[in-house]
Amino acid sequence: MTAVVSRIRITSLQVFCAVLVAAVLLQGLITSALDAPAARTASTVFVAVCVQALPFLVLGVLLSALITAFVSPRVLRRVLPRSSAAAVPVAGLAGVVLPGCECAAVPVARRLIGQGVAPAAALTFLLAAPAINPVVLVSTAVAFPGEPGMVGARFFGSLATAVGMGWLWTRLGRAEWIAERARRRVDNADRQRWAVFAETARHDLVEAGGFLVLGALFVAVLGVLLPASWTDALAGQLVVAVLVMALLAVVLALCSEADAFVAASLTTLPLLPRLVFLVVGPAVDVKLIALQAGTFGRAFAARFAPATFVVAVLCGTTAGLLVLGGAR
Amino acid sequence: MRRETQHVLLLLLGGALIKITLNGDYLRYVRPAHGWWVLGAGVVIVALAGVGVLRDLRSAPADVTGHAGHAGHSPWLLMLPVLAIFLVAPPALGADAVVRSVDANVVAQRAPEFAPLPDEPAPRLELSDVVARANWDRSGQLDGREVTLTGFVVRRGASVQLVRLAIVCCAADARAVRLRLDGPLDVPADTWLEVRGTVRTGSATAATDHVPAMTVHAAHVVAPPPDPYEY
Repeated sequence: MTAVVSRIRITSLQVFCAVLVAAVLLQGLITSALDAPAARTASTVFVAVCVQALPFLVLGVLLSALITAFVSPRVLRRVLPRSSAAAVPVAGLAGVVLPGCECAAVPVARRLIGQGVAPAAALTFLLAAPAINPVVLVSTAVAFPGEPGMVGARFFGSLATAVGMGWLWTRLGRAEWIAERARRRVDNADRQRWAVFAETARHDLVEAGGFLVLGALFVAVLGVLLPASWTDALAGQLVVAVLVMALLAVVLALCSEADAFVAASLTTLPLLPRLVFLVVGPAVDVKLIALQAGTFGRAFAARFAPATFVVAVLCGTTAGLLVLGGAR
Repeated sequence: MRRETQHVLLLLLGGALIKITLNGDYLRYVRPAHGWWVLGAGVVIVALAGVGVLRDLRSAPADVTGHAGHAGHSPWLLMLPVLAIFLVAPPALGADAVVRSVDANVVAQRAPEFAPLPDEPAPRLELSDVVARANWDRSGQLDGREVTLTGFVVRRGASVQLVRLAIVCCAADARAVRLRLDGPLDVPADTWLEVRGTVRTGSATAATDHVPAMTVHAAHVVAPPPDPYEY
């Protein structure tokens, strides 16, 4: 009897089919449940965020897969300075030319560590790539047409966050905080590169896509739950506004290519809190924390995420005061 | 989640994106210029799933990237947009989203001078264009001019508003553009109307939340346009 039971193992494919069949059978029920005006608005916003952000995520995983498959670790080691304190700013600037979604930057950083790049440099890349790549900067410029300073302020704030965290890791970080599986060296020099490319892109898309959907759910639910005038209450209080926007960036977990448009729509707030929102978002948010805990281990995420939050708020505020010339 | 399930999920996800670009539903969610991106993403997702299926058919799934074969539980969330698109197909935002947003028109003066109105009786104009003109145009060319507008009805107490939602990027950043309708109109919220009338001079001020008022000469119910937003 036990033999029979152990043979009937339920696989995810069977669960998947059961959910599909149930959803099709209950379609009428689901549709009428979503017919309440608030639920309808939330479901439209949810699909809109998914449809809008998925192309950006696809672009991100394709680029990250290209790097993974075609940029050899040996070249990376030759390019990066030997001292990790000197490698950190180089890795930060590499984030500019090697664009990727924040979700896709996590596996890339893990692979860099696996191939012997100093963790401080890889983590700087992890923070820099999603925040200051050309796609993000262009979409920020599009979202703030009248404020060219926002692009520069976002660039310097995010770069300072990434480099600052790298140097902080050089001084205080310990390799054993990173889970052993992430530090393990992967030898794939003689594998087919296109196979590595396709497999990395597919894997990253499946994994990161789930967290993207989670972010879209948050946006849709919060959009319906938060009254529209909630930002009005923050208008006069700059310090509170900066902190609330920083926390909002963590909770909303928007894709870095799309967050500028959300920040642009909060017209009642001054520019500084909205800039902090843009600097904090790509560096630390709920879906990134979950991804980092899954990739590098909980001991790592529990130390890295809070430290990044503090550094990002400080760097974002400083960049805003310097580049934008005040709170505005 | 097993690899086969991931392949099926990706095929459905890519298929959903391709479907909404081909049948035009994507205009409910994003701006028209985004359509090519959505279509491209759908094709790439389907292709990645197809390559995965082919490789698995030819050989046992080799772990070429050092990733674990099972990707945890997060991919299950990808079912939500797939089910939402195929089974629910959420409609474009309407009166409920307008009631939730701030009451005032957010008006930013874009150009100091406005282009001359089309030289025809009751020209068709965008609602956001008329609202901007009513707030900023001091040339007087809108005064007493009959114009034709399309939008949906939002009821606020006794007053009836004609509204369009303007989006920058996707429906998540929609912003309402409102115009108050004066005239005997007994239509429920969310009804799409084509309205002919004149905007009352000086009706859009800070006191009225920058919402201009229109004297309605004729109004009739129309089908919702395929492209529901203004940009």
